[in-house]
Amino acid sequence: MTPHPALSRRALLQGAATLGGVAGLTALTGGCAYLPSDAATTTTALPASAKAVIDGDLVYFNWADYLDPSVFTGFEKEYGVKIIQSNFDSMEGMYAKLQAGNQYDIVFPIAKWVQRLRAEGKLRAIDHAQLSNADQVFHSGSYFVDPWYDEKSAVSVPFTVYKTGIGWRTDKVGTMTNSWRDLWNPEAARRIYTLDDQDEALAMGALLLGYDVNTAKQSELDEIKKLLISQKKYLRGYSSDDVNNMVGGNAWIHHMWSGDFLYLRTSLVKKPENYDFQAPKEGVPINSDAYAIPVNAQHPGTAMVFIDYLLRPEIAKKNIEYLSYPMPVRDAMPAFEALAKDVPACNVELSELESGNVFRNLSADAVQRRTATWTDVRAS
Amino acid sequence: MTALDPTTAQLPAQPKGGTPRSGQHTRLWAALLALPTGWMVAFFLSSMVIVVLLSFGRTQADGQPVFSTRLDNYAQLWDPLYLRLFLRSVSYAVATTAICAVLAYPVAYVVALHGGRRKNLLIAAIVVPFFASYLIRMYAWSALLSDDGLVNSLIVRLHLGGGVQFLNTPYAVIGGLVYGYVVFMILPVYAALERMDTSLIEAGKDLYHGPWRTFWSVTLPATRAGLFGGVLLVFLPALGDFVSAQLLGGPKTFMIGNLIQQQFLEGQNWPLGSAMTVAMMIGLTVIMVGYLRATATRSREAS
Repeated sequence: MTPHPALSRRALLQGAATLGGVAGLTALTGGCAYLPSDAATTTTALPASAKAVIDGDLVYFNWADYLDPSVFTGFEKEYGVKIIQSNFDSMEGMYAKLQAGNQYDIVFPIAKWVQRLRAEGKLRAIDHAQLSNADQVFHSGSYFVDPWYDEKSAVSVPFTVYKTGIGWRTDKVGTMTNSWRDLWNPEAARRIYTLDDQDEALAMGALLLGYDVNTAKQSELDEIKKLLISQKKYLRGYSSDDVNNMVGGNAWIHHMWSGDFLYLRTSLVKKPENYDFQAPKEGVPINSDAYAIPVNAQHPGTAMVFIDYLLRPEIAKKNIEYLSYPMPVRDAMPAFEALAKDVPACNVELSELESGNVFRNLSADAVQRRTATWTDVRAS
Repeated sequence: MTALDPTTAQLPAQPKGGTPRSGQHTRLWAALLALPTGWMVAFFLSSMVIVVLLSFGRTQADGQPVFSTRLDNYAQLWDPLYLRLFLRSVSYAVATTAICAVLAYPVAYVVALHGGRRKNLLIAAIVVPFFASYLIRMYAWSALLSDDGLVNSLIVRLHLGGGVQFLNTPYAVIGGLVYGYVVFMILPVYAALERMDTSLIEAGKDLYHGPWRTFWSVTLPATRAGLFGGVLLVFLPALGDFVSAQLLGGPKTFMIGNLIQQQFLEGQNWPLGSAMTVAMMIGLTVIMVGYLRATATRSREAS
């Protein structure tokens, strides 16, 4: 098998990200971000799109191990340019680097960060007409023609989509009901993990109670808090290291990300038939990330060519098989379906994309209320 | 001798009053001190100042922290939940420190007094694993101790039982902390033992007979400074740690470090996180002052 990341990127987000937070502090000081300016960001016209013409080496900024390495070498060979790679370990870390003025040609933000970066004027427009493979993701009927985070996909091109559900061991647990309630399953008491992630944990409680995944209403948060505290006696822990907890045998039931589950099942375990995944009937959080070109990119032309290259079905197929995450590239979708044929729940359907169960940018007040709730759950 | 021996030892010696020194000498010292002082001011003091200032700050609507002059963040700290977390963290840190001391003495003793020519090699063998990142070592631990991990498969294979649930317990968290910080106890204790006059031990053996009484009445008091230094070096980082609880902890092992980390990352509430940090530093200073006074008195009594 191809060398894969040993830790899921989410786990790194939780662990190493703290260092990134510290780095962020310095970066923000550099930008004088501590001086108050409540003035709303003015939405000006988008910085114009570059032409898809090679204009230098590509400065690339992404999660570690997020593309198949052969894709890099293929691009370098075909176009005669170098790819200079650097990685971030959290969205906060990526944002701080951009804020500090670092120049990258291509970045890979999660949906709500695309929205935020666009609102702050930090992204360049991407003219779909420049991309020969644009039709692969922007064909009529594609959700990404006009996604919630980026009107008309003017500054971003979709990369992966994923959902949050429940992975479990079929050889250890017999009773699953396709509900988030299964995270309270007494059959697996003390063998259950909930993701150590504020948004994911609160969304799980919210979906079970029939509330919006982004709820910041105090009364609803109080109910979610009570519900999540009631789960503690069944839990073995809170962890975002879902892959390793399953591989190590610590977890029988794990609140986990679809891509992590599929990677676990297809690449890591000896008996894949002992592992299954469900997308609970109450609804599941859906997330996605995208390619984007920062406004201060020095080689936006090469970045456009690179995006076009990544949209080629055969290249997308390589990345899908490397990552185990579905990508909305039309002619590469069968490759994912083949990969996930035994656990179709890992795929993300159009109806799920349209469900609105996505993590949105909230006001600082709302985020702080949600954090207070999550702190109470974790600390009690 | 003061309890802070290991730390003060790193500073260049101060010119003693009374000894005549040339002006050139003083200037040399000043020049040598300027670099570390400048470094400390630029990277340590200034970041401390930012934390203190930010603890009176607020968060803008767009999530950016900004300076201000309000006390809200401190008012929010009066929550019995936070106090409970603090006490939990203190109890973990105390247990960690005690276990580290019990582990460090025999190790340091054997290396210092029986290491012979291989002393430096042995010390290197203890220190080198600590070159690897703490985070990586914690991940390694969780892989080693997982239910289907190496340790458990060995237990099953040797018919010692059906496997033990190590991970996600308070014991795992304390174990991780011990593994993370034990070297900070071994080194000062080793330094103290190495400096100790071994004839004292021989005299002690003549005087008290048994090795236990010799240890309690001679070796331990003579190496007290190293122990006290080690206690500080282990206790402080263990109290503020969040990695061990995050990677090895269970549903009820949240520590004060996790709480602060949460405010800075997901919580978008750097001002509250800063206030927590400042409050914790004040609490620790109070504990430290009490500790230093108590140990200083004892050192005086001993000499």
